[in-house]
Parts: sequence; structure tokens; C-alpha cells
Amino acid sequence: MATDAPAATGISTDEKAFWERIKEPAVYVRLISLVVVLGGWELMGQTGNIDPVTFSYPSAISVAFWDLIASGKMTAAAYESSQILVAGLLIAIPLGIVLGILMGRFRTFEYAVDTYVFALYATPVVALAFPIAMVLGVDFVGKTTIVVFFAIMPIIVNVYHGVRNVDLSLLEVTRSFCSTESQRWRDLIFPSVVPYLVAGLGLACGRALVGMVVAEFLMSISGLGALSQDYIADLELDKGLAPVVLLMIVGIALTKVVNICETKFSSWRVRQES
Amino acid sequence: MRLEGVGKWFGSLQVLDGIDIDVKTQEILTVLGPSGCGKTTLLRIVNGLILCERGEVSFKGEVVDGPRPEMAMVFQNFGLFPWKRLDQNIAYALRIQGREKSEIDRLVSHYTELVGLGGFEANYPAQLSGGMQQRAGLARALAAQPDVLLMDEPFGALDALTRETLQEELLRINEVEPKAMIFITHSIDEALLLGDRVLVMTPRPGRIRFQFDTGFGRGRDLEEIRGGKRFQALRHYLWEAMRNPEAEPEPIPELVLE
Ligand SMILES: Nc1ncnc2c1ncn2[C@@H]1O[C@H](COP(=O)(O)OP(=O)(O)OP(=O)(O)O)[C@@H](O)[C@H]1O
Ligand SMILES: [Mg+2]
Repeated sequence: MATDAPAATGISTDEKAFWERIKEPAVYVRLISLVVVLGGWELMGQTGNIDPVTFSYPSAISVAFWDLIASGKMTAAAYESSQILVAGLLIAIPLGIVLGILMGRFRTFEYAVDTYVFALYATPVVALAFPIAMVLGVDFVGKTTIVVFFAIMPIIVNVYHGVRNVDLSLLEVTRSFCSTESQRWRDLIFPSVVPYLVAGLGLACGRALVGMVVAEFLMSISGLGALSQDYIADLELDKGLAPVVLLMIVGIALTKVVNICETKFSSWRVRQES
Repeated sequence: MRLEGVGKWFGSLQVLDGIDIDVKTQEILTVLGPSGCGKTTLLRIVNGLILCERGEVSFKGEVVDGPRPEMAMVFQNFGLFPWKRLDQNIAYALRIQGREKSEIDRLVSHYTELVGLGGFEANYPAQLSGGMQQRAGLARALAAQPDVLLMDEPFGALDALTRETLQEELLRINEVEPKAMIFITHSIDEALLLGDRVLVMTPRPGRIRFQFDTGFGRGRDLEEIRGGKRFQALRHYLWEAMRNPEAEPEPIPELVLE
């Protein structure tokens, strides 16, 4: 029946599934909310309640978005930005994992560094931009360092807590069966750290984006940050907001990737949905 | 296996005091005692997981100062790895021992069938009932083929029928591959049916109140024992003793000594 029905009605199964999903509150409430908010904003723009010099509205931003892509400016800026973002994350992720594990596992190391880690975790990293610029310069190295500082903190702290919160009764099981230290890492410590790490990565990606824009605003101006700032300074708000939209999309995409990793690594967590 | 004058403190709380136990090779010792009297603590000391402040545990003449592969524990709270499938959990001890892959597979499927979990190999612990998890913990310990099995209320979460089946299985396994067992239970019947010797503990601090040989012998038929006079008399005796924890234990009924 499932194979015949679409041909008879002219609706594909995909389309059917789509309409089924729309009926869920999670989907339609969100859709309505989006339509109301974006529509209202657009309407205010169209009816002249928004001064295009000091603010913009969705359709103008969309047009600007496509213009910037067509002219190649957006792609060039995005490429420039992505270099410090990717470099920053590639350093922050492994370094954060190693530091978190060392802190969680070795008391001496923990006491040696925990003051700095927790002090830095509590400090708004933006305040570090100028000292970093002084020491490392305002170009690639300095900017990447800012991204590293933004991204690494939640990774260190989460991995540290993951190692610390290893189930003590399971630790006893590994001891009882005479597990070696390396087997213990494989069987117990790494698997218990994974959920903490994934949560940390989610936070780290968001913060890395913030760090990237901060670096581009405060250090040598470049990339998407510069693109946005230049247009805003020229009072072309629609073009100034277009890079912000791209950042938003990248942020959402990164979070999605992390979520997918999370479900992949936690198939053993059986969710009983009612 | 021998414990001599074992005393254990957690901070200022004394949990065990003057425990002397001698478990002979292939003997099954069952331990009865109220909740919190230190039974789990006793097993952890025997396993070498924690050390005692006073006294000494020795195994085959050597002092126990850490876990050893000849002993395997069935944990009261199951102790399964939530991210390992059932077969991986049962294979755990064997993998730690570095056995051959083919041998691991063979032993795992044998003991999985034995505890009645065949067909659930690919399930994660969260997908199994409490009783099934308990059987998985039992299978893991059995698969390790230890000389000594330390069992902390291994049948506590099972329904009566499964419990009886596994009691019989355990005795049968013990005929084929004899090993010493320390078996903790809250069930008087179970203590009598399985034990060559029954040991009763008192709480705060945990001491040995009394112990006696059940004298049912090997190759026992549980049904026959259950219906017997001796079992009834011992059962009644234990009930009375557990009900009056303060009273001096009366001498064990004559009947038993016949
Ligand atoms: N790690 C620990 N630190 C402090 N006190 C502990 C610790 N482990 C056990 N105790 C205490 O020791 C006593 C005995 O605990 P134990 O777990 O050995 O009891 P049990 O006889 O196994 O009880 P149950 O029948 O409920 O399993 C309890 O009073 C408990 O509070
Ligand atoms: Mg206990």
C-alpha cells in the first residue's frame, strides 16, 4: 500500500512525511513564531517604520546577502575568517582534551595549574585581546590565539569533570578484574568522558566563533568581522548585517555537527520516549 | 583462603571486628546478616579492593594485598559497563586476562546461554531488566573461571523461579568446575540450600555471631533437601536467631548433629 498510494494521490512519501512533521507542535509553533517575528519586522521595514540608515529588515538583508556572495566579497571574507577559526579549533580541541585529562587524572598537575585554569575560565576572554596583541601581534598568530583562548576553556573544564566523575563502582570493577591502567582508560575513562567532551565541544564551537569576530574587530581588521564593520561604518546596514547572518548559519551548523556526534557516541544511552 | 582477626574502620566508624574465617578449597560459605553489617565490605577486603586496618587475609598461603585474577566478584550493584553490549560485558574479564579471541567467543556464548541470556547479546545494560543485569554480572564472573567466586547477593534481584534455576545451575557448575565461594544472601533458605557452611553476622561493628556446617553434602538435590526435617529444623533455628539479634544463640538443635 505504501508503494501504491503516492502514485495514486500524486504525493510522494517524502512529501507525506513532511506534512506529517508539520503537524507536530515543535514544528508548527516554531514556524508560526518565525513567520510572526520575521513578517512583523519586514512589515515595519516596508511601511517605513524603520529608518534604513539606522536599521534594516529581512528582505533587504537577503538581497544584500546574495549581492555580497555574487560579488565574491563574502566568500573571500569567509575564507579569511575560517582560517583563524579552523586553526584555533584544531589547536584548542586536542590541547584542551590533553590538559583536561591530565588535570583530572594527576593530582600534582591539577594543583599546579587549576588556579590559572579556573581564573581564566571566570575571566571574560575579551579582556585578553590587548595583552595577547602586545605579545603575539595583531595578525594570524595573535588572532588564532584569541580563538584558542575562547574555545579551550569549556573543553578543559568539561573533560576534567568527565575524568573526575568516573563511576567509582565501575572503577572498582576494573580493579577487581585486575585491569591494567591502559585497559582502564579504554574500558572506563574514555567512554565516561565522551558525553562531557561532546558538551564541551558544543560550547567551544560557539565561543570560537565569538573569539573569531572579536579578534577581527579588535586586532587587525579582517574577514567577516571587517566586512560587517566596514559596511556599518558606511551606513549600509543591510550589507553590514549580511555577514552576521552567515555567522549565525555557521554557528547553527557547527552545533548540529556536534549534536550528530553526540547521538553517534551515545547509542548505548537508551532513551525511553513516551 | 583465610581471614584472621580482620578489623576495618571507615574513618572513626568501625565496620568489621575480629573476623576469623577459613574457607577450604571448593567450600561454599554462605553469609547471612542484617543490612549494613559489613558484608560487602568483607568481600571487598577478601578481593583486595580495600585493605583492613587490623588482621590479615591470606590466599593459598600468600597475604592478599590487592586484587588477583584467581578471584572474581559478582557485584551487588551489577557493575556492568553501560556503553558495552551484553556480550562485551561478559567478555570483559577474559579480555583483561588476554585470552585468545576464539576462546573468549566460546566461553562468552557458553556462559550467556547458561544464565539464560541467549539472544540478548547485542543489548546494552540499559535495555535489560535488573534481573537480567544481575545474571550478566554472574556470567562475567563465571566466564573468568576463577578459583574463588565472591558473590554479593547475586540472586537478590531475581524472581523466585529464575532464582531457583540459577541456584541449581550454580551447584551444578560447582560439581563440574569446583571452586570456593563466599556467597552473601539475605535469604535463609538460599543460605542453607547452597552453603556447605553458613555464617551469621551481627552489625555495628560487624562480627561473626555463629557459624555451622549444613552437612547436606555434595551432589545435593535441592527438592529433597527442602522437604527434609533437617532443613526445616535449621531454617526454624535461623529464623529465631535472626529475629532476636540480641539473644545469645541457643545451641544448634540436636537433630542436626545426628
Ligand atoms: N566507603 C565507605 N565509607 C564509609 N562508610 C562505608 C563505606 N562503605 C560502607 N560503609 C559503611 O559500612 C557499613 C557496612 O556497609 P556494607 O556495604 O559492607 O554493608 P552490607 O552488609 O553489605 O549491607 P547490605 O546488606 O545492605 O548490602 C555501613 O554502615 C556503611 O555505611
Ligand atoms: Mg552489601
